[in-house]
Amino acid sequence: MVDKSILLDNKKFTVGTFTDSDKLLHAVETLRKKGVKIFDCYTPFPVHHLDHALGYTRTNLTIGAFLCGMLGSLSGFTLAYSMNVVDWPMIIGGKPQDINVFTSFIPVIFELTILFTAFGMVIMFFARNRMMHGIKEDLLDRRQTDDHLLIAIDNSEAQSLSNDEIQTILVNEGAVKVKGNVEAFNTSLTTEEDLEIVIGNNEGAAVIN
Amino acid sequence: MYTADIRKPLVLGGKTYTDVTNDVCRPIENKPTNSWWLGFSIAVLLLLILAGTLAWTVWEGIGTWNVNKSVMWGWDITNFVFWVGIGHAGTLISAVLLLFRQKWRMSINRSAEAMTIFAVFCAAIFPLFHMGRVWLGFWPLPLPNAFGSLWVNFNSPLLWDVFAISTYLSVSLVFWYLGLIPDIATIRDRATSKARKFWYGFFAMGWNGSAKAWGRYEVVALILAGISTPLVLSVHTIVSMDFATSVIPGWHTTIFPPYFVAGAIFSGFGMVLTLLLIARHVMNYENYITSEHLEAMTKIILLTGSIVGVAYITEFVIAAYSGYEYEQYAFANRMFGPYAWAYWTMMFCNLMAPQVFWSKWARTTPWFIFVISIVVNIGMWFERFVIIVTSLHRDFLPSSWVMYHATWVEVGIFLGTFGLFFTCFFLFAKFLPVINMAEVKTIIKDNE
Repeated sequence: MVDKSILLDNKKFTVGTFTDSDKLLHAVETLRKKGVKIFDCYTPFPVHHLDHALGYTRTNLTIGAFLCGMLGSLSGFTLAYSMNVVDWPMIIGGKPQDINVFTSFIPVIFELTILFTAFGMVIMFFARNRMMHGIKEDLLDRRQTDDHLLIAIDNSEAQSLSNDEIQTILVNEGAVKVKGNVEAFNTSLTTEEDLEIVIGNNEGAAVIN
Repeated sequence: MYTADIRKPLVLGGKTYTDVTNDVCRPIENKPTNSWWLGFSIAVLLLLILAGTLAWTVWEGIGTWNVNKSVMWGWDITNFVFWVGIGHAGTLISAVLLLFRQKWRMSINRSAEAMTIFAVFCAAIFPLFHMGRVWLGFWPLPLPNAFGSLWVNFNSPLLWDVFAISTYLSVSLVFWYLGLIPDIATIRDRATSKARKFWYGFFAMGWNGSAKAWGRYEVVALILAGISTPLVLSVHTIVSMDFATSVIPGWHTTIFPPYFVAGAIFSGFGMVLTLLLIARHVMNYENYITSEHLEAMTKIILLTGSIVGVAYITEFVIAAYSGYEYEQYAFANRMFGPYAWAYWTMMFCNLMAPQVFWSKWARTTPWFIFVISIVVNIGMWFERFVIIVTSLHRDFLPSSWVMYHATWVEVGIFLGTFGLFFTCFFLFAKFLPVINMAEVKTIIKDNE
């Protein structure tokens, strides 16, 4: 396990915990309307329209996927053409091997297009999300992959409202728990006692509800 | 939240997010049950038969099979096409139904995708071993050759198959793994033992469910579905071209690509139903795999079974109408020749049997669906057997007409692939979530 934080290192967050995706979505909209900058949301499942509500633009991964696909097509053609036409034409039944046999290269070109698109896109996806085998995860709540939906607000960021006001809004929007001073922790290769200490330390400022 | 009043809920029992996690993680976090051990032991036993018969084939040679100069493809290629076909339902459920926004796919796509991958493993064994010298199995790859610059032949459907099947396997694996990551992260965060924390942590790749990641994840899943759809169609099209581009009467048919694709989906859904009906019963997933799901799948079986039936009849009519004596004989020989029993088994299992699904009772009664799903599996195996063996055993030259019956080695390898398939499936059911938790959590409140 690589002992490396991904995104949240040494930051402290105000975290609102929800148990309903509609309430979370509404809270995000309300906070953004009041000019509060939200660091990110963490949910156990994809919440529809949450990315729009947070103001995220659509990912450019599709363009990368298209380019990978093009590279795949080109590789497929180059592979077949260079082997069967340029380097060693395999004459079977007197039939010529030239650019006219291109049509029988199409299946291979097609398969390599798909292969390059899929792998290229998924590798780019992992890179973009800083995902890697063995990297340590950064969690703000142990149940954020189970049944808790979180809104995380970076405490070091300048906000239009005071932290207390933000916490009140979160409570009013239906957060079941609001914490003011949460640090990221991880669960893999951490003993239960360590985990209790970390979570215990996070029971900071305003624990409401 | 979108609700359609004419639809029933997709998940029953008023489940909460917590319930979904607990229900799906229970078999992973608890000790395996006795029924798991029983099933797993039988599967491993069959797997040992596979190892033994394959070892004997390699040691003694292809002579241990009954394939001969006329019937050079027998049970081996029959089984290959059978297993590849079964794989298609998984991709259909996860990719095509995602594009069509069919939310009922969500509680069955994970196990169907797993089935795809394991079925392709089983399929790959046959072309590799039927070449005789399995240690030279890398020869179909486009590698420089020890004897000079002779490369593989890109005009051959057999080479297209190498590319198609390997792309299909690797893209299916990527698609499956991508869908597993959020669920692996869920298990990681619930894990209590050190080993489980490490391994699930390792494979979760640091996933923490950030909204940014989910946004990208959904786009990537959509594009993967978009490219998997033509891929799955291409794979069985190319498999059918292994036959259709030859000049053998009975194989040389332009209807083959769509007919094989429909047949593949048909057989795949047969196997999905067989597996899911067992899994839902043993693992108590009746609230997730509801009778709505069963009904939707039986409707697909009815549709694709009928397409396959129409293809059988079309094929026969075209042969009769062709005025080509050899083609006419090939089909008459199928229906009334020495393998007529196989032909009529196929007709009964694939054309007649699925028609019972016109009845609502048949579509919603699990034990009955289970019986029909087995019938479909048998029928689709016979379809490939009929196409391959009856077309070959009586060719243009009557002096080379032969009968073909499998030896115990061929039967053993076929039974053994079931061992491989079920061993993989039992391990999957023990170590990975059989139901996609993240996706099911998005639909527990929906009626659609």
